[in-house]
Amino acid sequence: MNSINQSRSECTPFIWPIGGGKGGTGKSFLTINIGILLARQGYKTLLIDADLGTPNLHTIIGLPNPKTSLSDFVNKTVSTLEETVLEMPVHNLFLISGARNKLDIANFAHEQKMKMLRAISRLHYDYILLDLGAGTAFNTIDFFTLSDSGIFVCIPEPTSIENIYRLIRSVYIRKIRQVLQINCFRNLAGQAEAQNRDAVIQHPEYLLTTLKQIDPEQGGNIEKILQAFQFKLVVNQVRKRDNPRTGTLICKIIEKHLGMRIQFIGNVGFDDRVHETVCMKSPYILKYAHSQTALDLHGVLQGITGGTNRQTAALAASTSI
Amino acid sequence: MKTLEKLNYYELLEIAPHASPLEVHQAYKEMYDLYHDDSLASYSFFPPEERREILAMLDEAYSTLMNVKTRAGYDRSLVENGTLKTDVKDRPDMNRTVDAKSPADQSALSIRDNVKSVVSSHPGIQEILARETISGAELKSIRDELGIPLEEVAKTTKVRMLYLEAIENDEFEKIPAGIFLKGFLKAYGQCMGLDADTVASRYLKRMKD
Ligand SMILES: Nc1ncnc2c1ncn2[C@@H]1O[C@H](COP(=O)(O)OP(=O)(O)OP(=O)(O)O)[C@@H](O)[C@H]1O
Ligand SMILES: [Mg+2]
Repeated sequence: MNSINQSRSECTPFIWPIGGGKGGTGKSFLTINIGILLARQGYKTLLIDADLGTPNLHTIIGLPNPKTSLSDFVNKTVSTLEETVLEMPVHNLFLISGARNKLDIANFAHEQKMKMLRAISRLHYDYILLDLGAGTAFNTIDFFTLSDSGIFVCIPEPTSIENIYRLIRSVYIRKIRQVLQINCFRNLAGQAEAQNRDAVIQHPEYLLTTLKQIDPEQGGNIEKILQAFQFKLVVNQVRKRDNPRTGTLICKIIEKHLGMRIQFIGNVGFDDRVHETVCMKSPYILKYAHSQTALDLHGVLQGITGGTNRQTAALAASTSI
Repeated sequence: MKTLEKLNYYELLEIAPHASPLEVHQAYKEMYDLYHDDSLASYSFFPPEERREILAMLDEAYSTLMNVKTRAGYDRSLVENGTLKTDVKDRPDMNRTVDAKSPADQSALSIRDNVKSVVSSHPGIQEILARETISGAELKSIRDELGIPLEEVAKTTKVRMLYLEAIENDEFEKIPAGIFLKGFLKAYGQCMGLDADTVASRYLKRMKD
């Protein structure tokens, strides 16, 4: 590891929650393979299996019985989150395995969750990738409050696209709420809500218009914060016959109709051999480093490291998420 | 952010007010890809009613802008309400008469068919085609009128840019003679929705004269 990276991990990490619909879109697949690529570029990288209740990242990575996991932190068997970190066979790569028992965590108290989120944001790594559970449960969405960034994964099928739209909408609304809770915006948010009750829930884009009408300056500031979010879209398991432009079009719809910026960072090709590597519990990118799908993963990596993002300003500014 | 209903037709199709009919058509096709009933990319995003409204708006925009008379009227209304500055309208290509077919038919048509319909009803282009010979400069003016970039012609015809430029600049010494040139000319003509043989023979006639 070179000295630049060493000093980087002393400051706040880049945190990337990775979300997608149910039905195996490839969140875990991307988390592991992108994690390995980051580690190989010299970044100290931590993968967190945040699929609360049904974790499996450890299995895919070839660690059938992790010694420690998030459960230990939640159950206070250990006092710091650092103690749950496992070393990986790949240099620079680390893992916090998911909670083993559904009861441990699926409905754990708000206070505990806050404590966990805060602990995550204080870890010293260059990159932290959060492999999220499928769907739009609160516990999933809340992980997006950790940073100004997020990756959404879908596959080119109607069911998956329906799910991804639902997820993106939920995350965006959650992020807006988070921003509006910052002290200086609370007053304005209250006025806007009084004027237009449903806006936050149904039409975030109208909400912003209302905010700007009431207070152009503060409304503009809120818009700036929202536009600084780094949301990325990956279309995974793309086959030859699929329209390669679907990802671009999805982002266009979101930008036009939700008023939210999201960047398409690439198609990842479907490869039969992914299944084989999962069964062998060995990461795909190590085994088939020069396949088309591996090239695609490098493209996604580029889309992630190309921009900049830090732990969310909103989180730092507000005590309650 | 403006909601779709508040956009004017140009904003809705994301084109400039001086866009050529071909650009209008291409923009419409792109939007149609995004919003049509079976579009994968927007699947589930809109309730069916909203989707129908958006498609209706697109159709309305398209048929208005593809017809010279209705487009001129629409532009006038935009100028009157201050949305559009008058000077944008001082463009040479306003006297074209294109009969817009119903947009639903149009979306099924290929771009080339659309180019043909522009060609057949465009007085300026028709005038050039009525002459006994055609120069490279005239071919270029037809191409500009249709709004087709030369790169696109090169891509479609697989003829190198170098030769296409030589054809348009009448730089005969740069073009290989004989059968090649004839082939290039035919491909060029076809790509622009013109009669390939006519283009080739009239260009060659002028070259020999
Ligand atoms: N690019 C790909 N080509 C072929 N198969 C893939 C690809 N990406 C993922 N898969 C397969 O899809 C399945 C689901 O992948 P993965 O477990 O990463 O999804 P997930 O989003 O984490 O699912 P879950 O929500 O269940 O956690 C796996 O069996 C994997 O082998
Ligand atoms: Mg998973």
